[in-house]
Amino acid sequence: MLFGRQKKNPVKLPDKGVVEWKYTTCGYCSTGCSIEVGLNADGTPVSCRGSSDADVNRGKLCIKGIFEYELFKSAGRGTVPLVRDKTIDAYKEVSWDHALDRSASEIKRIQETYGRDSFAIVSTGQLLTEEFYTLGKLTRGAIGTNNYDGNTTLCMASAVSGYKRSFGSDGPPGCYDDFEHTECLMAFGSNLPEQHPIIYWRLRQVLEKRSFPVIVVDPRVTMFSQMADMHLAITPGTDVVLLNSLAHVILKEGLEDQAYIKANTSGFDEFSELVAQYDPVSASKICGIDEDTIRNVARLYAKADSAMSIWTMGINQSTHGSDGVVGINSLNLITGNIGVEGGTSLSITGQCNAMGTREWSSCSGLPGYRVLEKEEDRQYIADYWGIDPEFFPKKRGMAQTDIFPAIETGEIKGLWLIATNPMTSMPNTARIRKTLEKLECLIVQDAYQDVETTEYGHIFLPSGLWAEKEGVFTNTERRVNLVNNVIDPPGLAKPDLWIFNQMAKRFDNGQKIRFPETAEGVFKELGELSKGRMLDYSGMTYQMLEEQCGVQWPCTEGAVIGAPRLYTDGKFQYPDGKAKLIPLDFIDNNEKPDDEYPFWLSSGRVVEHFHTRTRTGKVGNQNKFSPTPYMEMNPDAAKALGIEHMSYARLVSRRGDAVVLVQLTQRVAPNTVFIPFHFHDCVNRLTLGLLDPYSRQPAFKQNAVRIEAVEDQDAAAVRNVAARTY
Amino acid sequence: MFKVRDNEPDYAIIPNVEVPEKSQHGTPIQLADENSELFGKSLNINGDAEIGYNPNRYKQHGFHFTADNCIACHACESACSEKNDLPAHISFRSVGYVEGGTYPAYQRMNISMACNHCEDPVCLKGCPTRAYTKYAEYGAVLQDPDICFGCGYCTWVCPYNAPQLDLEKGQVSKCNMCVDRLEVGLKPACASACLGGALDFGIIESKPENRIQAKMEIPGFPTPGITRPNIRFQQTRSLPKEMTRPDTMPIRYTKEEAGQADFKVRVRHKGSESGKIKRGWNFKKLSSREDPLVFFTLISQGVIGAFLLLFLGPMFGLDMLSVESHPVTNKLMLVTLLVLEGFALGISTMHLGKPHRFYRAFNNLRYSPVSREVASLAVFYTMLGGYTVTTIGLFNWLPHGVVSFLSGLFGWLAVISGPVALYAMHKIYRIKARPFWNHWQVLTSFYGTMFTLGALWVGLVFSAVLLYEGSGISELMMPMAWLMVFGLVLEGIGLFFHARYLEKCGNEAAASHWVQRTTFGYTYVVRNIGLGVSLFAALAGAVVCSGEGIAGFSAWLLLGFVIMATMLVGRALFYVLVIPTTMPGAFFWRNTGFQEQARESGLAEMPQVGVLPHEHYQEEALARAAKELKEDLQTIKKQGLVKSLEQLKENMQLVIKNCFS
Repeated sequence: MLFGRQKKNPVKLPDKGVVEWKYTTCGYCSTGCSIEVGLNADGTPVSCRGSSDADVNRGKLCIKGIFEYELFKSAGRGTVPLVRDKTIDAYKEVSWDHALDRSASEIKRIQETYGRDSFAIVSTGQLLTEEFYTLGKLTRGAIGTNNYDGNTTLCMASAVSGYKRSFGSDGPPGCYDDFEHTECLMAFGSNLPEQHPIIYWRLRQVLEKRSFPVIVVDPRVTMFSQMADMHLAITPGTDVVLLNSLAHVILKEGLEDQAYIKANTSGFDEFSELVAQYDPVSASKICGIDEDTIRNVARLYAKADSAMSIWTMGINQSTHGSDGVVGINSLNLITGNIGVEGGTSLSITGQCNAMGTREWSSCSGLPGYRVLEKEEDRQYIADYWGIDPEFFPKKRGMAQTDIFPAIETGEIKGLWLIATNPMTSMPNTARIRKTLEKLECLIVQDAYQDVETTEYGHIFLPSGLWAEKEGVFTNTERRVNLVNNVIDPPGLAKPDLWIFNQMAKRFDNGQKIRFPETAEGVFKELGELSKGRMLDYSGMTYQMLEEQCGVQWPCTEGAVIGAPRLYTDGKFQYPDGKAKLIPLDFIDNNEKPDDEYPFWLSSGRVVEHFHTRTRTGKVGNQNKFSPTPYMEMNPDAAKALGIEHMSYARLVSRRGDAVVLVQLTQRVAPNTVFIPFHFHDCVNRLTLGLLDPYSRQPAFKQNAVRIEAVEDQDAAAVRNVAARTY
Repeated sequence: MFKVRDNEPDYAIIPNVEVPEKSQHGTPIQLADENSELFGKSLNINGDAEIGYNPNRYKQHGFHFTADNCIACHACESACSEKNDLPAHISFRSVGYVEGGTYPAYQRMNISMACNHCEDPVCLKGCPTRAYTKYAEYGAVLQDPDICFGCGYCTWVCPYNAPQLDLEKGQVSKCNMCVDRLEVGLKPACASACLGGALDFGIIESKPENRIQAKMEIPGFPTPGITRPNIRFQQTRSLPKEMTRPDTMPIRYTKEEAGQADFKVRVRHKGSESGKIKRGWNFKKLSSREDPLVFFTLISQGVIGAFLLLFLGPMFGLDMLSVESHPVTNKLMLVTLLVLEGFALGISTMHLGKPHRFYRAFNNLRYSPVSREVASLAVFYTMLGGYTVTTIGLFNWLPHGVVSFLSGLFGWLAVISGPVALYAMHKIYRIKARPFWNHWQVLTSFYGTMFTLGALWVGLVFSAVLLYEGSGISELMMPMAWLMVFGLVLEGIGLFFHARYLEKCGNEAAASHWVQRTTFGYTYVVRNIGLGVSLFAALAGAVVCSGEGIAGFSAWLLLGFVIMATMLVGRALFYVLVIPTTMPGAFFWRNTGFQEQARESGLAEMPQVGVLPHEHYQEEALARAAKELKEDLQTIKKQGLVKSLEQLKENMQLVIKNCFS
């Protein structure tokens, strides 16, 4: 004591009394951090910390992971199954048997009345891989609807589609360790510091040791743009033009890796013919990046010993998302940057288990990267499950974004939503409301009873979340990591795996197929189904996953560790073993600003929230950083419209309007506004969500709006508060 | 002891490095050596008697912040709130930012800030209860929420917004440097959690690996001269010439001269961007958590003024004020003043989170202006009480000489202690971190009010009596009017020079003035007109004619209302206008503009919004008082009166000892 009271009390510091740390994997984004949940003497989860041994996060956690233990006691959880006849009735609490019987009989009734595909199932990227696989088994093998998809269509579909088109298969070829080796990093529409802070930290650690050019392509001056060496403030929706022009410069100046192209790719001639049309001078007029910069970046990228590209929603969520991914892949193929240390095309994935659903859910085909279109795949899975292969459709059915219009037109009459909230997440909220109203039966299966979509539900099935269950997640770098069961779900809520298994019992095929009771039992099936395939799980066990804090696939039987990279031998999944260089015409079909709607509207994430805030909106220490929606708007544009900082403004699009708090900042261009997508009844009232022709992913990032100052600020505030139940 | 993992990552471990002997402030970094009595003692963290094994336990530690790298990911804030189990509306560490430039040449500089464990901890000095201690261990400034009685004065004096007043709990708490982690060689939770390579921690003046600067200042950070903070910065990127804040504080930071490296704090003329400068009344916004202080200060000043008149007036020829001339009125007025001041003191405790712990206000007479104010007012109040009881005749059973001696003694002591108390009261507001207050105008205002209200109240009461008796009132009211004129002129001169000072100094003070002239634009003008009108009316009354009869008295009564209303508005403005030199906030978090909006719209009703739904927690404070007093009584019952008295004695001795140590 230098100065202070003479007689001191003991120093009192809060002590949560953790007596045990349980290993698990974070359930938010796809970074795949290993988390330890601290339990006190009562067995209550009271703390979280990053696992020091985990290669992914090395002891660190982001804001969401730090408070993840609070989810176990968060408000709005569903604890009892609910049923009602009509959406105008109140929900009644029922037993699980009642709810499941009712669900099964409704599914059967609708299928019998309107055809097998008239009942659709839309899941998520949030479940555990074992649950995805089981849901796929239930859907493809027992229920037998072909209209089955995940909300990953809203986030990663373009990456999947682009990978498939370029490499013949899905599967991100690189890993975080590529930062350690790369000599040039280019990020397209990816804001690592906010969206994937731990991946950013991994990059930061490397940049502390050595420097290499970091180039960020983004219309917005994101935190990553500011931290980058070069920021290319591109015109929204024109990435393909930039990519074509980069390839143009590389080929024109002979900077390509001829040997790699010859040995490992096909389609070079058509490709080079097309990119020849995209000289930097003409390209700069479209994409807004000056010709010198295009040349500079192309040279930098091509000349680097190894160079890598990462991207996220800035590419995926557009009308040419799939093309954008193909363009990035082609850029890396022509420079020989696939399958080498520091050279890769790495999609930074969104949800904790978007990869798991891509690999195992059978949404777009059959488990283990198998497709419905191949007879051998159908036969193999049918045999493994013990059913008739003719039960499978021979072609993939509708994507999520086609399922909703099909409900609108009456083609689909029933829907089972699992851990997804289209009322907030889908473009054009008004249309979604109208669509959901038409359903004869909507089953909502979610951990949260207050998820907005329950407004239109008939049956609510309360499920466990995250570490209330057991299973695995696959992260962005193909690392399969273990989620241990930390505590049980609240009340009568059940793990999704249990719900699927119980549902299966109510279908004929479901009684034929084996549905293992435990997650580990299911995991063994994954190993068997993937043996010898690209995504080989056969070498993994739960114990190994926990010991190594996750293992990357492929991990063949008997292997000690997983493989960090794909395509290291230059062999791709197309029958000829070559990757495809695909020419990409730029089709300018976006809704662009015009006289009536003069602003670009783009949506995106903020670090403290996840998806539709059903979880993060209830954790005060996260939610407080953006408790209500806001719009980033350029002050110069605002001045012309008489709009002030911290006031409410009204946005109008061709779909509807939204009232939102204004944050004036030069982060956005004078003709652009940005609104986080997490909030109910806000930005998606405005979005058009034009679909990508390949991935069926909506273009959330390119919409046109008009902005008006709001005279009655009090009324606007009331309207905003009324839209927030959490 | 804090449990260290076997595989604790390197970044979480404080490097054991050589540092210079002295900090950049010129003070020794080693805070205690082996011979010191402070050496080798346990911090007794949660009652654990062990002593930490950190080899640099007695060196001043501090944060190092690389502003170039901060990405505002909130990991530091979250790790802190998680460790300290904080509710959403409180945060020991906050990340705010300033931004500037034009798209796409836009730059945002984030600043993560908690307590800087200053060499000159103004919180510690300001705290009347001595809840703060600066430890020789790590130089940590720790605060004990159990001692704190929730006056919030530390939150006024701290330039960095480090102490957090939890209105709900009625107490302050703050960053504890994670001393439990330091004891085992680990960096605090926040620095260990940083994801941008921005926040670090170590022995002060030790630069983290790869860092080349350890500056004392960056834009947005208050001048280190106030407290000698233990934080160092690296900020090497060139910034735009003007940086603004995302919160509604009307402040910007500018580089005004060519080649000048430092940013100056300037007023941001909010609304001028859109051409809509809003002038308003905003009467509602005049009310704040500080409302009790508005009444407390005004009443105390009026009471002291009135007493001085009653006591000294007759000596200067105002016979009608004497006990001899109007015994009933004089005595009644004395009793009224006593009651009034008792009431004022009472409501001043309602400003506390724990009103029943008011007696702790005396704990820090050596340093705290609050302690001194309370002590000197207590003396005045006691003397006023003594004078009153001896004057009204309660002690007439004693020999007459004794009574009159006592009465004189009490009276003169009250005459001295009253103005001294007001001087001490004014010192409370002379805070460097609150430049709007830090001006001699506070003194002229307090003394001015003493003259004006004192003369007004005495004048009105006695002229009413004179009127009733059928005597003239001008003989009394003309000198009273002169006193009011004097008080009002004093107030006016202060305000005139204050306004000039506000405009000149450009910083947060000027921002306060900007708010005064916009948000409260009309209110401010009307207050000034009120002052002017009062002054002229009083002057007219003093020089020309004070008026007689009912008409004259009514005129004075009317003027009295004008004066009281003017004073009330003026004093309320004094409290709501102050803009502290705090760190910039973010768009939602630590943005007073958003907090107001959230309260008005009802958004704040949801606890996860992180804004308490209102600012007034008096009822909760009273409930807490009742509960804790009950517990106290039970403790006394349990341990017996004798032991309790002994404890009391011990505590009193400590207070006295503290005054001299």
